[in-house]
Amino acid sequence: MSAIYLTDAPVRRQHTSGNPLLRKIQRACRISLTEPDLALNLDVADYINEKQGATSRDAIITIARLINTRDTHTAVFAIALLDVLVKNCGYPVHLQISRKEFLNELVKRFPEHPPLRYSKVQRLILTAIEEWYQTLCKHASYKDDLGFIRDMHRLLKYKGYVFPKLDESQLSVLKPNNNLKTASEIQKEQEIAQAAKLEELIRRGKPEDLKEANKLMKIMAGFKEDNVVEAKQAVVHELNKLKRKADLLNEMLNSGDLDLNNETIQELYGSLKSAQPKFQKIIEEEQDEDNGLVQDLLKFNDNVNQILEKFTLLKSGDSQGASQINPENLSTAIQMNQGGALANEINLLDFDDNTESSSPAPESMTTNTQPVDPLTDLLGDLNDLNITTPAASTPNFGLGGDISLGSAQPTSAVTNSTAAQSDAFDLLGDFSSSIPPTSAQTQSRVLVNQSENVKFEFEVVRENQNSLKIKSFFSNLSSSPLTEVAVLLAAPKTMSLRLNPQSSSTLRSFINDGITQSIWIDNAQANAPKPVKLKWKVSYKINGSPVEETAVFTLPNI
Amino acid sequence: MGSSVSKALGKLFGSREMKILMLGLDNAGKTTILYKLKLNKIKTSAPTVGFNVETVSFKNVKFNMWDVGGQERLRPLWRHYFPGTTSLIFVIDSQDKDRLNEAKEELYSIISEKEMENVVLLVWANKQDLKGALKPQEISDFLELGDNLKNQMWCVIGSNALAGQGLVEGLSWISTNTAKK
Repeated sequence: MSAIYLTDAPVRRQHTSGNPLLRKIQRACRISLTEPDLALNLDVADYINEKQGATSRDAIITIARLINTRDTHTAVFAIALLDVLVKNCGYPVHLQISRKEFLNELVKRFPEHPPLRYSKVQRLILTAIEEWYQTLCKHASYKDDLGFIRDMHRLLKYKGYVFPKLDESQLSVLKPNNNLKTASEIQKEQEIAQAAKLEELIRRGKPEDLKEANKLMKIMAGFKEDNVVEAKQAVVHELNKLKRKADLLNEMLNSGDLDLNNETIQELYGSLKSAQPKFQKIIEEEQDEDNGLVQDLLKFNDNVNQILEKFTLLKSGDSQGASQINPENLSTAIQMNQGGALANEINLLDFDDNTESSSPAPESMTTNTQPVDPLTDLLGDLNDLNITTPAASTPNFGLGGDISLGSAQPTSAVTNSTAAQSDAFDLLGDFSSSIPPTSAQTQSRVLVNQSENVKFEFEVVRENQNSLKIKSFFSNLSSSPLTEVAVLLAAPKTMSLRLNPQSSSTLRSFINDGITQSIWIDNAQANAPKPVKLKWKVSYKINGSPVEETAVFTLPNI
Repeated sequence: MGSSVSKALGKLFGSREMKILMLGLDNAGKTTILYKLKLNKIKTSAPTVGFNVETVSFKNVKFNMWDVGGQERLRPLWRHYFPGTTSLIFVIDSQDKDRLNEAKEELYSIISEKEMENVVLLVWANKQDLKGALKPQEISDFLELGDNLKNQMWCVIGSNALAGQGLVEGLSWISTNTAKK
């Protein structure tokens, strides 16, 4: 029995007394406690976060053993501790609870057929699995690594176990938080996750695991630079989200019937408020590197300050003072910013010209108009907008694309009319390049989108070899006035957008071209092989209810 | 399940399995040693980016040998390989006198880790065939292991991966010095 051999268990597991982690766990689960002690549980979590390495694995193995002790008291404490670790230690612990061995251990005391009444421990375990299933398995950015939780959930369900219903507040803790983070924080998180994964792969040691470990190691060792860039992009992405939130909050504060206790307003306010301290940190980090971003951020910070102050004034009933704080400027100010560093990045939307197909596919033109339910996450980024078309109500949608092709008509006489559309594009490209830019007066209007309420048109002119000038026109087709009309635009990453402020933000009923805006797209080469695509989003209020429309529009090749 | 059965059988017949972690600066000869032991062949290899792992059986002992690349940017990742290690083999290029100090620093930073405090340490003073290579005794003096390691078992053995000299001695030292635990 003296032989040493490697088991799956960590080597030093036996000397319980010498291991501070196990001592901490035992302290948190000891019977003499009357109820789970959050401070002790958090102490374990802190220890794991500090030491990393094998600690999360050791902790989870120990907890699984404690959960299966005969003593209900201890088991309940162990489950409470597990809950705290899952919520506070991030990926390393998530990876451990998704191990098949752990999950099997967790349900070791579940009989093949569900009992009539679950024991307390069983109920808590079912709750935990349901919670992980509803949150981690669905939202975590690394959910692919957590497949066994899903499998266990399915298996239990199949066996007839019933999972308790969870309410939203329980789930919200594990949902991804949109807290603003600095680039170095994102990177650190990523490094921790990668390290945890690497160690787990090494531990498993199956050939396919090792192969993946080797790959991961190369990434960890070789592409640090990439990680830096990625982390920064993530920061900018988050900032852009915040900008939209700020815009939205400002709009809401400006609207007439204002309910400051409105859940959405509260949420917007909260997220802006909580993000503010981070601005400082980001600015400190980026100071020497990205002046554009810092400038942009400082400006944005001012804006946020204004909005928050306005909110406070309104809250204290000082609507006079609140109206002094000039709100109208804000959204335009931010839009103007889009020329800045953030905007290049922008892409409000992750869309990249590389991935686009060269011919304007009709399905990419789908549009949606949906009344915005204030309770749904208005704030989610544009990416999250689901592009479903309520076809019946919006018969015109999708026409934009076709019509945009038609916009080339004035010159299409030159081209062979039987040519395929893409050929037509090419020919047009040649055509336009052969004439001097000044005479490129193909100034016809292009219909971008027409819904029940709004007609949205572009007038596209090539200013020079590199930039396009677009004038946008909005017409109100409905009998009700539209208020708070706001337009967001995004161009592919390789290009940059400059926008002038909108001429107005309201549209009288049945007015034609009630709002105009000048837009420039830089770095849009003439003769580019692919047409330029713009993603747009128009939001407005009609009869007090907010509406959003969005789609991708392919510019005619000029 | 199957693995635990085989482990039980292994115990019965006295065979053991252990994890050996082989580290060292780049170009020390770790990968060459690994494949010399495994295949008894000299495999010229490009610098290892990542790691290699092979099982070498020797006298009823199965050595799971992990050879992790030694380039500078890989060194911070070494610690991920520490858990569960029975024995650390540190390979030194005996001819590369300029980097001997660097090797010493790396070695000490490894064995000062908590997870490595119980491992058995073998140092292979490799490339003994090269002219001007330091003798194992000289390497040993330079490393000052005797002064700095208290409870840890250690040993410096000269080796020549090309000829295979010193390798079997090293493994057999490891297997005898881990048996009693």
